[in-house]
Amino acid sequence: MTVHTGQAPRLGLKRFTTPLAVVVALVALFAWLSSLTLDSIEQRTLNTSYLLDRTQEHVLLTVVSSALVALLAIPAGIAAYRVRSKAVRAFVIGLGNIGQATPAVGVVILLAIVWQTGFYTALISLVAYCFLPALRNTLTGLEQVDQATREAARGMGMTPRQVLWRIELPLASPVILAGLRTALVFSVGVATIATFINAGGLGDMIVNGLKLQRYPVIVVGAVLVAAIAVLIDWAAGLVEDLVRPRGL
Amino acid sequence: MSGSLDVFLARRWEDLVMLTLQHLAVVALSLAIATVLGVLIGLLVWDRNVPRTAALTAAGIAITIPSLALLALLSPVLGLGWAPTVVSLVFYSLLPIVRNTVVGLREVPAHLIESARGMGMTPVKTLLSIQLPLAWPVIVTGIRVAAQLTVGIAAIAAYVAGPGLGLYIFKGLSSLGSVNALNFTLTGTICVVLLALLLDGAFVLIARYSTSRGLRV
Repeated sequence: MTVHTGQAPRLGLKRFTTPLAVVVALVALFAWLSSLTLDSIEQRTLNTSYLLDRTQEHVLLTVVSSALVALLAIPAGIAAYRVRSKAVRAFVIGLGNIGQATPAVGVVILLAIVWQTGFYTALISLVAYCFLPALRNTLTGLEQVDQATREAARGMGMTPRQVLWRIELPLASPVILAGLRTALVFSVGVATIATFINAGGLGDMIVNGLKLQRYPVIVVGAVLVAAIAVLIDWAAGLVEDLVRPRGL
Repeated sequence: MSGSLDVFLARRWEDLVMLTLQHLAVVALSLAIATVLGVLIGLLVWDRNVPRTAALTAAGIAITIPSLALLALLSPVLGLGWAPTVVSLVFYSLLPIVRNTVVGLREVPAHLIESARGMGMTPVKTLLSIQLPLAWPVIVTGIRVAAQLTVGIAAIAAYVAGPGLGLYIFKGLSSLGSVNALNFTLTGTICVVLLALLLDGAFVLIARYSTSRGLRV
């Protein structure tokens, strides 16, 4: 799934409509919350320290797994590209397709059953789940580089290594970054599921709220998760535009 | 620890087929609704700059919302089972379908529309026999992307008692440590993967046979 393909860079104030909308939504949420009288069950989860802990766990899981995906998938994609073998390419693309068809909840729970429950299991399944799309984007991004450009670089006397670092990677960077952005947004969603295997995060609130039939708990958990997802996607888009080589 | 898979499958074969069919049914129903809605929205916004940007931005933001969060928000309002599942699957399907409808309609060359008008076609006739047929291959691709997305999300919907294979995946979790835990989750997951791949293959055929004959490559 490539949800994000190079959108035109938004400029000025427009760029900040998304975080502004998120802040407005959060203010509205907490205003609504403070107008409620909470029972003892709700008070146990709807307090600042609990909310901060869960949010921290969620963001940690998302950011660490995405960083690991970037560290693993980009070099692997470059390696797969440099091998220049049809079989390796077909294998990576095929694996990517199967990975895309695999339900995240299945991966998370399978790993919990065969290994253990907890934070590290969630982390590993997140990395495994987001690795393939990032790998595939790296490979296809590098392949999309125009052959003529590559030849021109060679003609100017660049070594293959220089061609990779100065021509191919910069030209492929929008596609590679789009893959990482997709991975980030995926991981916010999958980190929500991590609650099923006792890995914490805001999914805890959603699941507890459902189990105990406390609507305010569900709403706060769900809105916070959605806010994180939207903000992370927005920040990634910002980085995408800033990092993109000037000439592109 | 794990019971043998062949005995497990032999005992629960019918159950598994029924769950797979349910999974397929909820995905197909949601895609049908989302296609009608998505194409309508696409038709309303494709040639107007501000509504188009607004619709695509909103859909782009909406799709980042984690599915468990949406399902949890819907369930107190819509209850458990099919209703929250279908609504959330339609919700996530809209982005790819609306986006591809807009892209497809914008790719129709302007001179074709002009010549259709010149031949005396009404705007509705132009839309139905020129613009939509030409945009259709792109729209089908959007529906195909939505199908891949929804097959996976439907698995999570089992948590709010939604229909389909997610039931087996979660059954494995709830029987963690028992003989059949792995079998339940493994068969559930593999069936979802197979269903997604089969559906993707089916869309190659659907795209081919629903495209106007003159456009088939």
